[in-house]
Amino acid sequence: MEVYLPLLAQGLAIGVLTGILYVLVALGLTLIYGILHIVNFAHGEIYMLGAMAVLYLHVVAGLPLVPTLAVIVVLALLLGLAIERGIFRVLRGQWLQLVVASVGISLVIQSIGWIAFGIQEKSVPSYLPGIVDLFGIRLPRERLLAAGVAVVLVAALYWLVYRTRVGLAMRAIEEDEETARMLGVNANRVASLSVALGFVLAAVAGAFVAPVYSLNPGMGLEPILMSFLIIIVGGLGSITGTVLAGLLVGVIQSVGAILFGSEAAYGLVFVVMIAVLVARPAGLLGRV
Amino acid sequence: MSAVLEIRGITKQFGGLTALAGVDVTVGEGELVGLVGPNGAGKSTLFNIIAGAIPPTGGQVLLEGRNVTRLASHDLARHGIARTFQQVTLFGELTARDNVLQGLHRHAPSRVLAGLVGTPGYRAEQRELETRAERLLDLLGIGTHRGEVVSEQPLGIQKLVTVAVALATEPTVLLLDEPGAGLSHEESTRMMDLVSTVIRRRCTIVLVEHNMRIVSRYCDRAVVLHFGRKIYDGEPGGLTADRRVVDAYLGVAELA
Amino acid sequence: MKTAALVLLLLALVALPPLAEPYMLHVAIVVLMNAVYAEALYVIMRMGYLSFGHAGYIAVGAYTSALLATKLGVSVWLGFLAGGTAAALLAWLLGMVTLKLRGIYFSLSVFAFAEVVNAVFRAFDFFGGPAGIAGVPRPMFFGARLNTHLGFYYVVLGAAVISLGFLYRLAATRFGFTLLALRTRDTEGLAESVGIDAARYKTLAFVVSCFFCGLMGAIHGHYLRFVSPFVFTFFFSTDLVIFNMVGGLGSFWGPLAGAVLLTALGEQLFAAGYYKSLVYAVVLLVVILALPGGLIQLPRLREAWAARRLRWAKQPVVTTER
Repeated sequence: MEVYLPLLAQGLAIGVLTGILYVLVALGLTLIYGILHIVNFAHGEIYMLGAMAVLYLHVVAGLPLVPTLAVIVVLALLLGLAIERGIFRVLRGQWLQLVVASVGISLVIQSIGWIAFGIQEKSVPSYLPGIVDLFGIRLPRERLLAAGVAVVLVAALYWLVYRTRVGLAMRAIEEDEETARMLGVNANRVASLSVALGFVLAAVAGAFVAPVYSLNPGMGLEPILMSFLIIIVGGLGSITGTVLAGLLVGVIQSVGAILFGSEAAYGLVFVVMIAVLVARPAGLLGRV
Repeated sequence: MSAVLEIRGITKQFGGLTALAGVDVTVGEGELVGLVGPNGAGKSTLFNIIAGAIPPTGGQVLLEGRNVTRLASHDLARHGIARTFQQVTLFGELTARDNVLQGLHRHAPSRVLAGLVGTPGYRAEQRELETRAERLLDLLGIGTHRGEVVSEQPLGIQKLVTVAVALATEPTVLLLDEPGAGLSHEESTRMMDLVSTVIRRRCTIVLVEHNMRIVSRYCDRAVVLHFGRKIYDGEPGGLTADRRVVDAYLGVAELA
Repeated sequence: MKTAALVLLLLALVALPPLAEPYMLHVAIVVLMNAVYAEALYVIMRMGYLSFGHAGYIAVGAYTSALLATKLGVSVWLGFLAGGTAAALLAWLLGMVTLKLRGIYFSLSVFAFAEVVNAVFRAFDFFGGPAGIAGVPRPMFFGARLNTHLGFYYVVLGAAVISLGFLYRLAATRFGFTLLALRTRDTEGLAESVGIDAARYKTLAFVVSCFFCGLMGAIHGHYLRFVSPFVFTFFFSTDLVIFNMVGGLGSFWGPLAGAVLLTALGEQLFAAGYYKSLVYAVVLLVVILALPGGLIQLPRLREAWAARRLRWAKQPVVTTER
C-alpha cells in the first residue's frame, strides 16, 4: 500500500490533466449542442484541422506559434459561419437531415484530409518540452500548458454565457425561443455565433492537443466519441456537467490503468458511464 | 345508470409536489362530464392516469367494474378508453383517412402472411377498414378532407381528425382534452355540437374545459378540481353559486 | 405497366449474366447486396430510427456462417440461414434495451454495439483476430462448388429477389402501415393510445431488419471467401445511411435507387477508398440541401422546394430531436 500511494497520486494527477484535455475537446460540442441542439458530427474533423494547421503553418512553414493560432481562430470562425449559414440554417427543424448532413460534412473533411495529408503519421514537436516535478509527481509541461489553456477557455465560456448580453441571448433562445424573439433577440445571429464559437473551440483544442498525441486525418474520431460520451454523461447543455464528466473520465481512465491495466480501464470508463446514465438518465447535471 | 368509469382515491405525487390528492369521481354510462379547474389543478394529470400514460401514486381506476389502474396505454385502448391530447397530436405525414385508419388498429386483424401475399380476403378487409375510416370522417363533417395530409390542415380540421382517430377505437369512455382550445367561436360550437349529439350517442364522455359557458351548456355534470382536490361535483348550473368554486377561480371573467 | 417493367428487369437479370465479364458480375453482386442492406435498414429508418451500426449485425451474420462452415463444416446454405438467425436473435435481445431510446441516443447505442462487435472479433483468436477468417467456402450446388462469379451471382440474385420482395410487400401490409405510426416520440404516444403496442412493433421491425442484414452478410462473407473486422466498419454503416438518404425515405424505391446508383458509381471510383467516401459525402450533402426527399422526389422537386420554404418560415432555431 505504501508503494501504491505515490503511484496513485501520479495517476490521479495525470488523470485530472487528461480529464481537462477531454473537457477542452468537448467544449465546442457542448456549446453547439447546448444552445442549438444540433449534433455536430464534424466536431472531430475541425479538431483534426486545428492540429493539421499547426503542423503545416507552424512546423512546416515556420510561422511562429501566436500568429498560427490567430490564423486558426479566424479560419475556424469563417468555416463555422459558412457551415451554419449554408447547411445548418437550411435544414432547421429537420432533425434527421441535420444529423446526417453533419456526418456528411465530417466525411467530406476527413476524406479530403486523407487525400491531402496522406497516410503517414506525423507529429508536432512540443511547445513546452520538459517535465515539472511537483512533490514527486511528474507532470509534462506540454499537458500543463494544454490544461492551462483549457481552464482559461472554460472560464471564458462561463463568462460569455453567464455574464454577457450575448450569453444571455443564447440562454434565452435555448430556453424559450419564441419569447426571446419577441423580446428582440436576433435568433439567426445567436445561431451563427454559437456555431462559429463551437468551431473555434474545437480547432483551438486540436492545436493545443496536437503535440500530445500523434496526427493523422482520422484522429478526429476518438475525440468526438469521447466528447459525446462526456457531454451526455455530464448532462446535455450544462458546461459544469461537461467539466465534471470530463474530469471523471480522465481520472477513472488514469487511475484505472494503474490498478487494472489500460484496456480494462477503458472498459471501466464505459461501465461507470452506463451506471451514471442508468441512475440519472438526464446525465449528472442535465435538465429535462 | 351503472357506473362505467370509477376513479377511487387517486393520488399523484411528483417528487415533493402533490398533483392529485385523493380524487373520487364516478361517471355513469352515457354521461357527458365536464372536468374543470384552474391551470395546474391536475386535470391533465388525471387524464394521463386514466389513460395509462402515467401511473398513480395511489388509488384505483375501474372501467366497467374492472381494475385497470396499472394497465399500459395500449391495453387500456383495447379495453375501451380513448383520448385526445391537449396539444394536437396526429400522424403528421399521413392523410386524414390514414390517421383514422391507424385508429382502427384494434379492429384490424394483423394477418401478416395474408398481407404479404395480398390475398383477396385481405384486400377486401382493407377496403372495408378504409370505408369505415371515411365514414367516421363523414360523421364529423370533414369527409372531404380525407385525402389531405393532416400537417397541412388548419387547426379546426386537425382537432376534428384527432377526435375521429379516438372514436375509431370504438371506446366505452372517451377523454377529450380541451377540444375547443385554440378554435374560433364557430369552430368550438361546431365541435361541442358534435360532441353532445353524434359522439355522446356512441360513448361516455369526460372532457376537460376551461370555458364555463360550454360546460354549463353541454355537460350533464361538472367536476371541479383545485390543487389536486375535488371541490365540486354536481350540476353545472350550480357552479357560479358555489363559493368554493368562485374562490378557486378568484373572479375570472368566464364565470360570469 | 410497372409489373411489366419489373418482369422485364428480372428476365434481364437472369438471362444476361452469362454474356457478361466477371468484373461486371462482381459489380452486379455488390449492387444486389447493397440493395438488400439498404432496404433492410429502411425498415427501421421509416420508423424514425437512425442506425449507424447496422454493419455490426451484418458482421454477426457473416462471422456466424463463416465459423460454421470453416470450423464445423456445416452446409453453406444452412450457414446463410444461421447468419440471419444469429443477427435476428441479437437484435431481439439488444432491441429490448436500445429501442427504448430515441433520436441520437439510439443512434449512438447501435453504433456502440457495432464497435463492440468489431472489437470482439479483433480481440479473440477464435474469430481470427485482426486477420479474420480465410478460406470461407462457396456453397455446393448439385455436387459442384459455386466458385465462379457467374454461379454465385445467381445465389445472390435469388436471395436478393426473395429479400427485396418480402421487404417490399412488408411495407404494404398493415404491419408496415403501423410502423409509420411510430416515427416520433409524440406519434408513439398517440399510437399507444389507439391500442398499438409500440415496443412489440419496434422490436419486430428491428428483428426483421437485422435478419436480412445477417442473411446477406453471410452471403457476403462466402462471396469474399473471407471475413474480417475491417470489412463491416462504421463507414459501411454510414454508406447504408447515405443510400437511404440519397434515394429518399418516402417510399420503398428510394433506398433501392440510392443503393443501386451509388454502388455503381462507387465501383467506378475504385482508385482509393477515400475518393469514394468523398464523392458519397458530397452527393449526400447536395441531395440533402437541394433535393429534399431524395432522388425519388425528383419529379415533384418544385413542390418539394415550395413545401420546404413554407415549413422553413415556421422553423425554430433550436431543433428539438423527434
